[in-house]
Amino acid sequence: MQYSVSSRRFWQLVLVKAKMNLKAEAAQSQLNYLWWLLEPALFIGVYYVVFGIFLNSRTDDFIAFLICGKIPFLWFSRSVSNASNSLVAGGGLMNQINIPKLFFPVVVIAQDLVKTFVVFLLMLSIMWLMGYMPNPAWWAIIPVALTQLLFVSSLAILFSALVPFLPDLKFIVGTFIILMMFASGIFYDPAQFLRPEHRELFMLNPLAYVISEYRAIIMEGELPQWAMLARTAVVSLIGLGIAITIIKAFDSRYPRQVLQ
Amino acid sequence: MSESVCLEAKNISLTFRARRGFFRYSYHTALDNVSFDIRKGETVGIVGRNGCGKSTLLKVLADILKPDAGELVSHVNYVSLQSLATGFEKNLSGRDNAILSAMLLGHTLEQATAALPDICDFAELGDSFDEPVKTYSSGMRARLGFSTAMLMHADVLLVDETLGVGDSRFKKKAEAAILDKINSDQTVVFVSHQSSQVERLCNRAVWLEKGQVMEVGDTKTVLNNYQAFLATLPNPQKRK
Repeated sequence: MQYSVSSRRFWQLVLVKAKMNLKAEAAQSQLNYLWWLLEPALFIGVYYVVFGIFLNSRTDDFIAFLICGKIPFLWFSRSVSNASNSLVAGGGLMNQINIPKLFFPVVVIAQDLVKTFVVFLLMLSIMWLMGYMPNPAWWAIIPVALTQLLFVSSLAILFSALVPFLPDLKFIVGTFIILMMFASGIFYDPAQFLRPEHRELFMLNPLAYVISEYRAIIMEGELPQWAMLARTAVVSLIGLGIAITIIKAFDSRYPRQVLQ
Repeated sequence: MSESVCLEAKNISLTFRARRGFFRYSYHTALDNVSFDIRKGETVGIVGRNGCGKSTLLKVLADILKPDAGELVSHVNYVSLQSLATGFEKNLSGRDNAILSAMLLGHTLEQATAALPDICDFAELGDSFDEPVKTYSSGMRARLGFSTAMLMHADVLLVDETLGVGDSRFKKKAEAAILDKINSDQTVVFVSHQSSQVERLCNRAVWLEKGQVMEVGDTKTVLNNYQAFLATLPNPQKRK
């Protein structure tokens, strides 16, 4: 009857909990689920106004370039910052039931994944409206997104596992996310602005790499560099393994740690 | 009643550490060398004053908190801590919360869904069952929590102060439901401030004071000694 991470019941609970959280969140605002679309749409609107109208020197291409970078980055930043506090936030619950603590960050990741799916559809529709025709290469977004999911999960779980022990880390998480924004080429094209000798190093950042692939697929209709994609996926998978090992190792210490 | 042991607490100690400032901590010993057994089919009451370690002890028995010293030996599969309103989310309906709570307590989605009519019925929520829990009175919330927890089947049931829920009529109903479980050979560990409840329901009692076991044994004897101890305390208003 006890929950274990490998049981079907555990994952069923994760899904139900994620669904209920989304429902509860939607119930707190007037426009409910519409916010899933409105929030990224507002972001895109701001970019359009700032870069398209005020900084008129930019082309349409640049707005598309921004959207393809910012939307995947939003997925990353949202999941990592929400998950980093998930064990602390779940302190009450983990003191009532004996449950694998992986439950808490995984629910957050699942919740954000559902929203992200909708937002990606919005992103693709906007790109289509901007004249980037859907083509078979777009299917390659799926493996790239799965790779990003591995990377996002690894950092989300890692931070969630460490924050209860190092509460001050939550201030660093915010800074880290901003650092990642600059290190992933959201606002600039790394191919253009970086020195050639730095480019390879830059692409070791999984987020920078997947964002460059989204852009290549959506804007140029190019297929991903599969070897590089596989390498990034493997690195992310190893990171995920390490993060899960850490959270499991401290599993029984969290209920007390979050109360202290 | 079988005498086989299902849970053994062996010299359990547990200390909480609280952050007090810049790398400064204070320590609080919640359990100090606690030992006793729980046998199959019996109902054990844990009595003691506020802050004596009762709730911490239940969490140790439920395997939620790991002791710093000593060990908990379990001869059963599933020990369930029944606290009210497990994981309640105030923006969701009573129905959704009942599903979530039942699942958190170890049921599958199918079992939880199947139990919904019974939960709604027992909690006497009527149409409010589909209203958000934030609109509930505290009594309604407690009734929903109790009813959801009640359908959980576990080898050992740990009950924390549950019987104080709702109005006096529901209290009776809740007590009857617990009695039902007790009579069906369910092993129950039961924490309460009310000596009268412990006396009615329990075969044996454990008296905790400042994290230490003062006495384990027959309910009547332990309660008498506990009451006598309370009478010696300087502030009689605090007694229950």
